[in-house]
Amino acid sequence: MANLRAFAMPKWGIEMTEGVVAEWMVKEGVPFKKGDILALIETDKITNEVEAEADGMFPKLVAETGGTYQVGELIAVLTGADEKPSADEVSAFVSGFKPADTAVASKAGGSPPPPPAAAPKVEAAPEPVKTVSIAADANISPAARALAEEKGVDIAGITGSGDGGRITFQDVLQASLPATTVGGSPVEIAPIGETLGEVFASPLAKRLAVQHGVALSSLTGTGPKGRICKADVLAKVKPEPVAAATPSAPAASTAAAAPMAFARPAPGTAEIVKMSSMRKAIAKALSHSKSTIPHFYLRSKVRIDAILGLRAQAKAATGEAPSINDYIVRACGLALARHPDVNVQVHGDEIHRFGSADISVAVATDKGLITPIVKGADTLSVAAISREVKALAEKARTGKLQPEEFQGGSFSISNLGMFGIDQFDAIINPPQGAILAVGAGSRQPIEIGNALAFATIVEISLSCDHRAIDGAVGAEFMRTLKGLIEEPKLLVG
Amino acid sequence: MARQMIRDVIRDTIDAEMARDENVIMLGEDIVGGMGSPGGPEAIGGIWGTSGGLWAQYGSDRVIDTPISESAIIGAAAGASLTGKRAIAEIMFADFIGVCMDQIWNQVAKFRYMFGGKSKCPIVIRMPYGAGYNAAPQHSQSIHAMVTAMPGLKVVMPTTAADVKGLLTTAIRDDDPVIFLEHKALYGVKGEVPDGEYLIPFGHARQVTQGDDVTILATGMMVGFAEKAAAQLAQDGIGCDLLDLRTTSPLDEEAIMDSVERTGRLLIVDEAPPRCSFATDLSALVANKAFASLKAPIEMVTGPHSPVPFARELESAYVPSPDKIVAAAVKAMSYRRG
Amino acid sequence: MQHSREALIQAYRQMKTIRVFEERLHDEIALGEIAGFTHLYAGQEACAVGVCEHLGPKDYIISTHRGHGHCIAKGCDVVGMMKEIYGSSDGLCKGKSGSMHIADINKGMLGANGIVGAGAPIAVGAGITAKSNGTVSIAFSGDGACNQGTTFEAMNMAVVLKLPVIFVFENNHYSEHTGESYAVGAESMTVRSAAFGMKAIKANGIDFFSVYDAMRELIEYCKAGNGPASIELDTERFYGHFEGDPQRYRGKGELDRLREERDCLKVFRTKVTEAKLLEGADIDAIDAEVEALIDRAVAESKAAPRPTADHVLEDVYISY
Repeated sequence: MANLRAFAMPKWGIEMTEGVVAEWMVKEGVPFKKGDILALIETDKITNEVEAEADGMFPKLVAETGGTYQVGELIAVLTGADEKPSADEVSAFVSGFKPADTAVASKAGGSPPPPPAAAPKVEAAPEPVKTVSIAADANISPAARALAEEKGVDIAGITGSGDGGRITFQDVLQASLPATTVGGSPVEIAPIGETLGEVFASPLAKRLAVQHGVALSSLTGTGPKGRICKADVLAKVKPEPVAAATPSAPAASTAAAAPMAFARPAPGTAEIVKMSSMRKAIAKALSHSKSTIPHFYLRSKVRIDAILGLRAQAKAATGEAPSINDYIVRACGLALARHPDVNVQVHGDEIHRFGSADISVAVATDKGLITPIVKGADTLSVAAISREVKALAEKARTGKLQPEEFQGGSFSISNLGMFGIDQFDAIINPPQGAILAVGAGSRQPIEIGNALAFATIVEISLSCDHRAIDGAVGAEFMRTLKGLIEEPKLLVG
Repeated sequence: MARQMIRDVIRDTIDAEMARDENVIMLGEDIVGGMGSPGGPEAIGGIWGTSGGLWAQYGSDRVIDTPISESAIIGAAAGASLTGKRAIAEIMFADFIGVCMDQIWNQVAKFRYMFGGKSKCPIVIRMPYGAGYNAAPQHSQSIHAMVTAMPGLKVVMPTTAADVKGLLTTAIRDDDPVIFLEHKALYGVKGEVPDGEYLIPFGHARQVTQGDDVTILATGMMVGFAEKAAAQLAQDGIGCDLLDLRTTSPLDEEAIMDSVERTGRLLIVDEAPPRCSFATDLSALVANKAFASLKAPIEMVTGPHSPVPFARELESAYVPSPDKIVAAAVKAMSYRRG
Repeated sequence: MQHSREALIQAYRQMKTIRVFEERLHDEIALGEIAGFTHLYAGQEACAVGVCEHLGPKDYIISTHRGHGHCIAKGCDVVGMMKEIYGSSDGLCKGKSGSMHIADINKGMLGANGIVGAGAPIAVGAGITAKSNGTVSIAFSGDGACNQGTTFEAMNMAVVLKLPVIFVFENNHYSEHTGESYAVGAESMTVRSAAFGMKAIKANGIDFFSVYDAMRELIEYCKAGNGPASIELDTERFYGHFEGDPQRYRGKGELDRLREERDCLKVFRTKVTEAKLLEGADIDAIDAEVEALIDRAVAESKAAPRPTADHVLEDVYISY
């Protein structure tokens, strides 16, 4: 018996559903060698040469030249170079062949639907690749059933946590998400400052006491029931000289950030500060970002004189004016609306394109960097953006941000201008596709007409995720953005 | 500092308080033992060994061995406490609370309130509780949820030898009624005990381990199990913030909230069955006040909805174990937000 | 037995105060002024006063749900009591207890109790304290509580610990809606009490002097260190178990007959006037004083301050 295998229409890329066999480059029954070109196959994007991965022979070429075949459909029968299959064997193989279900499925489930007439447009989000069929009497809640069908989750693998093993919404949700890894290298858990006969102090007071080197036993508690509380500890902390305010990651604040006052370790020693949860989260996210995302940077110098003029007008009229950054947020919002390929999130091999420009604006708090989101920056006026940013910054600093106010967003803006930074490149906040870094405005000589003049120049740098955004795409966005910033009348509208 | 078994710490603490204040008296079944028998008094000194030698020192007027009459024991301790004494009443097994429930629930807990704040009842009711001795359904229960729910009572559940001294001293000196629950499986556990006068205020949890990933709340014997679990989890890179609550009423809500707001994950270990329990009480509190901080559903490792069974394998299956605690912590860590 | 004039006046005044207090409450309750459950003591006055006239503030009593009589007899503030029953924050218990838990610990009155039989064990505890004080502890019970397990336990414990506790059973022949002849299985309460190992006697609960004399004997007995004792007092209640009780268990004309033939105030008046210990006019004068006192108590109670919602959490604990 000869060893017959299927040679099917291959799938190149997510969107490919069918291809045309433009030309067979080998003959039926004639052995070929590894590396030989076997066929030319066309899709609506490219024509591809299919190379032999090993020595072999096609006893039967099923596909006709110029014929269109679905991905996974049999286009030839393949066997080893020395094999001599009989004609019966080959035809039996051909008639017995069933294509793998790699077709794009509809939500109806059951057998694969007829293929679409044309390949779906690039803009559409990918359809779910699995169908699920849940028995009518399955022990599953209605909401869980709907979620399983929507996400294509196979409930056979789920142990229901509900009453009597009922599958809950939560069970399906967990099953639908990629698994996380839990744990890591060992951690230290001995409690700090706890000794037998410990002093009656609140947990926060104890932590502060260790942090500031205050002896708890020296304090009198003014808290409930005579408990030592945070105020008692802080009252004993000598004010330290204010340390330099620059945080390590590119951070920005829309209003002046409160610098963190660290007590200075004694000379020759180092104080070991355990990372807070927030710092650990920042470390983890940014390390991941920098090491996995192929960043590239597009830099541009923009003139902000017109914005400064608008600000002066607003100030004269109402006594207050939006910040320069507010104008830039608005400009980015509009630019993202015009360049939806930059207004994306990247998830594995999926690109999520968003219908509105939700822009993360960095705010420095005493716990670290938080990025609340200005939602729909393409639909808000500069004044509205200004109000929204102020409100979000206040919430961030008082710890009152809700998760949906800082999780998500498709684009970030980071501004270090008020610290005198000319130009910098920011690290992308995954899963966003890009981040704009804004530097300080400075008076620089430029040519206008044939004469020398001065303009207020700000250097902006766009970091892009090359997996989703190509150089040209990013560059076009930057051109639009520059145009909007330099002609801010275009921002009102 | 001395190293002592918890049963001896209880005995020594009562002794010290009886020496300090002549109004302190003790009542209970067999707290002396041998009364009216050929073997003579002090035949046992408490079936858990927590009152040996006290009768010899303080006499029958202050160390009162009683007939088996739980209602009368609590009632007598209550009446004595209303009229100037400070009575320590022992109910031999917490399960017997059913027998004397009215005296605790409708009388002791409510006196001060009903009498318009004009009375005080500084009673301490000590009750051994908990599973682990194959003592079967009627001698193995944890009843803290029921008494925590009663306004007017304070409820104490110490774990370590030092905490027993500090909390029992506070309980005896407290002018409000206190239910002092002693896990019977901990009587033989030794620990370091500070010398001299030592008081731990109520409503102040003890930080057992400190971590950033999961908050674990536990009382009594469950604390030791949770500690083992926390050590194993730490090896695997998961840091637990383990709090020994020590008193369920009043509750150290501040420490709980502070911890959960940092870790975002809560695991409660409770030896009792799950319905309307202490675990569900803490869950509701945290779910209401720290919803925004939670990264995962609250996990509870509890006994099942059944009485405590007798056979060794069955009782082991009933009681929460370090493995179950580890699994619950990992489950909380594995939860993904959609 | 010799009673001074002052003692007789005091005794009558106490009994009359109880009677008028209860009768007035009966009327006010009918007007809808008073909330909750009230259990009136009228008819049993000789019991409470016959016992309490022997007692000082360091002697302890604990009462039943039918506690107004014991409270007044123990010397508690009558106006404060009325205010409490009206629910005023100025009441004896700041409006927290009402009729059923009325108490004044400082006067040795450890409270009326809403749980039948709950008082006896608490009285045993007070007996522990009384023993060290050289005083006595009285557990008032009815013919209902006498069947409660807690009562049996308390009696046994008092015997075992040899405490100066006197179990006073006021047998008004009805425990709620059930007759005592049905509910008490033993030959009598007295026989049953004796079986516990304590001195057990009976007295006529309609006659102040009978109660008083019997109690003197028992109090001496207890103070001498002989252990507890019990007394069964044959008495009547003129009203229902609670106000609102339709009293269908009563015989035809029973209540009228009780008022006529079994009224301890009438019995007292007859006895002292016949023995020329007091004049009729003396008694009338006391009657008038008491009526005025109760009028004042009710008037003040109706005008007394009401508690507000922020009082709810007060006094749950001394400190929390």
